[in-house]
Order: sequence, then structure tokens, then C-alpha cells
Amino acid sequence: MLDIVTLLLMSIVVGLLGSLTGLGGASILIPIMVLLGIPVKEAVACGMVAIIATSSGAASSFVKERITNIKLAMYLEMFTIVGAIAGATITVIIAPIFLYFLFAAFLLTSFMKVRSSFKTYTPPEKQDRIAKWLGLEGSFYDESTDQVIKYKCTNSVLGGLGMFVAGLAAGMLGIGAGAFKVIVHEKVLKMPAKVSSATSTFIIGMTALAGVSVYLFSGLLNVTLMAPMAVGTTIGAVFGGRLLNKVRDRNLRILFLVIVTLLIIQMLYKGVTAL
Amino acid sequence: MTTRNLGSGESKLETIISYILIIGVLISVVLEVIGIALFYATYGNLQISQDKSVFISGQNFFAFTLDQFQHLFGSQNALLFITLGLIILILTPYIRAITSAIYFAWEKHYKYVLITLFVIIVLTASLALH
Repeated sequence: MLDIVTLLLMSIVVGLLGSLTGLGGASILIPIMVLLGIPVKEAVACGMVAIIATSSGAASSFVKERITNIKLAMYLEMFTIVGAIAGATITVIIAPIFLYFLFAAFLLTSFMKVRSSFKTYTPPEKQDRIAKWLGLEGSFYDESTDQVIKYKCTNSVLGGLGMFVAGLAAGMLGIGAGAFKVIVHEKVLKMPAKVSSATSTFIIGMTALAGVSVYLFSGLLNVTLMAPMAVGTTIGAVFGGRLLNKVRDRNLRILFLVIVTLLIIQMLYKGVTAL
Repeated sequence: MTTRNLGSGESKLETIISYILIIGVLISVVLEVIGIALFYATYGNLQISQDKSVFISGQNFFAFTLDQFQHLFGSQNALLFITLGLIILILTPYIRAITSAIYFAWEKHYKYVLITLFVIIVLTASLALH
């Protein structure tokens, strides 16, 4: 049976891997815990808490470097927190079997990660009215090209809806849904890749708080699970963040995706046998 | 409207927020590590428990927080330390939102005051009512 030390070590490794690949930690930690016999709803509730820690820790340095767009984040958080509260409420109510299938489906988004980091940014030709009115734009210093890059956002309503869906999935499954958020940021709102991932990390903390507000007194939050998960993933993410510029190994990403594939199969198996 | 991100404007907010986030997470992790150590000292093992006492229970986050802090002094209760770590973690993004609202009000970005207030109100309601 799983004990606190094992879970702590596992969380460190997953946090490290998650931050090195940019594919998130909780989304693989939760299915692993389910595999080891932890009830899925408890794993989800504790995952949500762990995410506040890892996201806030990682967001801090992006904010300091002025890559995160705080105004844009506040606008998008209006949508993600409502989604997360709705999602978490659904999870508390529904039968666990739905969660196995939803988790398997959502893990597929890990494969959708767009390869846009190397493309140069071209701002949209026109901003919509809300984006203009709210001033959803900004600039940041791009170290790799030694340039200040100005950007503008558009499609603010559709982007908001996308963030609601991201929040819903995050709240239901106890994950950050970072890959999905980044896709909405880059494809719909037209944010540059760096701003997108920094702002997404920032938003994930607030979204997770909204989810936790529902899970807190739902009777699912087991502190002996939560503490090692939160501590472990945070330590892993901090080290991962420090290593990030040194190791960017393609093999790590492949390893991660192999693990994700196995976990999808496992969650489907769990769901089918529970039918 | 021109961009303001690299001007002197938002940068102060960014510095404050980055400190709030990192300090909140640090305190929380330290409290949880102390909690885990006390857990070992008290129970002699580090098994994951399914006992009723390890599940958080309560009704209103704010009342719950006051109640937990009142028990802090002189206590060596493992679960209390872990719970306090959780409370600090919850308060970290919450305080971040309140700070942003104050800042936007100070800078007279009233649209953003409203947006931030919406976030704070929804979170407060959800924390108080569940």
C-alpha cells in the first residue's frame, strides 16, 4: 500500500517531469494514484490543492520577469473560475465511473501540444471591440531574440468560452489543463507562445483555488494524501524550472507521452471494469 | 490605448505579486513538511490514512481558518499543521486577487477593478458557502 514517503518521492519525480516537458504534473499523478488504489475523487481533490502550490511557485518567476500579462489573466480568470466551480461540483456529485472515461479523454490533449515556440509572432490584423476596450495587449522582452515584442489579443468572447471549458475540465479532473489553455491562448486569442505559457501558469493557480473552494469541505480532502502531493510536486517543479534551460530533451517528452498512453489505457480499463 | 506593460505602471504590481506567490508557497510547504514530521513523531508510521480525522471538514472557509489558528499556539498536532499549510495555500491566490484589485483602484483602471472584484466575489462566495 502507498505510504506518505513513496507518494512524496513520486510527486517529486512527476513534478520534475511535468515542468521539464511543460505537460503538467497532476494529470499523470492522479491516474498513477488511482492505479495504486486511491479512490479517484480523493486523488482529484488533492491534485487540485497541489496545483495551487506548483502553479504559484512557477508563476512567481514569470511574473517577476514581466512575461505574464496580469490584466489579460484577470479577464480570463473570470471564465476559468466559474468553469472550475461548476466542474468540481459535478465531480462531487457524479459516480466515479464517469471520471475514468473523462480522464482518459482529457489525457489525449497532451498529444495536441502545438509546436509554436519557434515561430515568430505576428499580431492579428484587427482586435475585437471588447479586447480593444479592455486593452488586451502588451509587450515583453524576448531574451532569445533580444527584442521587445508587442502583441495584441482578439476573439475575446470565444477565448473566454474556451477558458470556461478549460476551467470546467480542470475543476472536474483536479488538473491544470495547461495544454488546453495554451491552445486557446495561441490559436484563439492570438497570444505569443511565451506570454501564453506564462499567463496560463498564472491563471491555473486561481482556477485551482476555485476548484478547491468546492472540494475543501466535500469530505474528499485527505490531508495525508494532500500534503505529500503538494510538497512533492512543488519541489519537483522548482527543480524542473531551474533545469529547464539546460535540459530540453526530446526523449523526456517521448517518455512522458508513453506514460500518458499507458495511463489512458489504465483509466479506460478501470472504467470498463466498473461498468 | 497604448501598451503599459513595460512602463513603470504594472511593474510594481508584478513585483508585489511575485513575492506574494513565492512567500505563500514557501510558508505552506514548510508547514506541511512540519506536519508530516509531526505525523511520524505521533503515529510512528507514515501510512496514508483513511481515518475520518484526516479528512477536512467544516462549512465556511473563513470561520474554519479562524478556528484553526486559535488552536495553533502550543499545539503539536500534525494534522493542524498540514491544515494550516492548506489554508495558507488557499489564501495565496486569494490575497493575490485582493492586492490586484487595490492596485487597479489606485491606478484608476476601473474596468479592471470590476473584473477583479468579480473574481474575488465569486471565490469568496464559493469559499464561504460550501
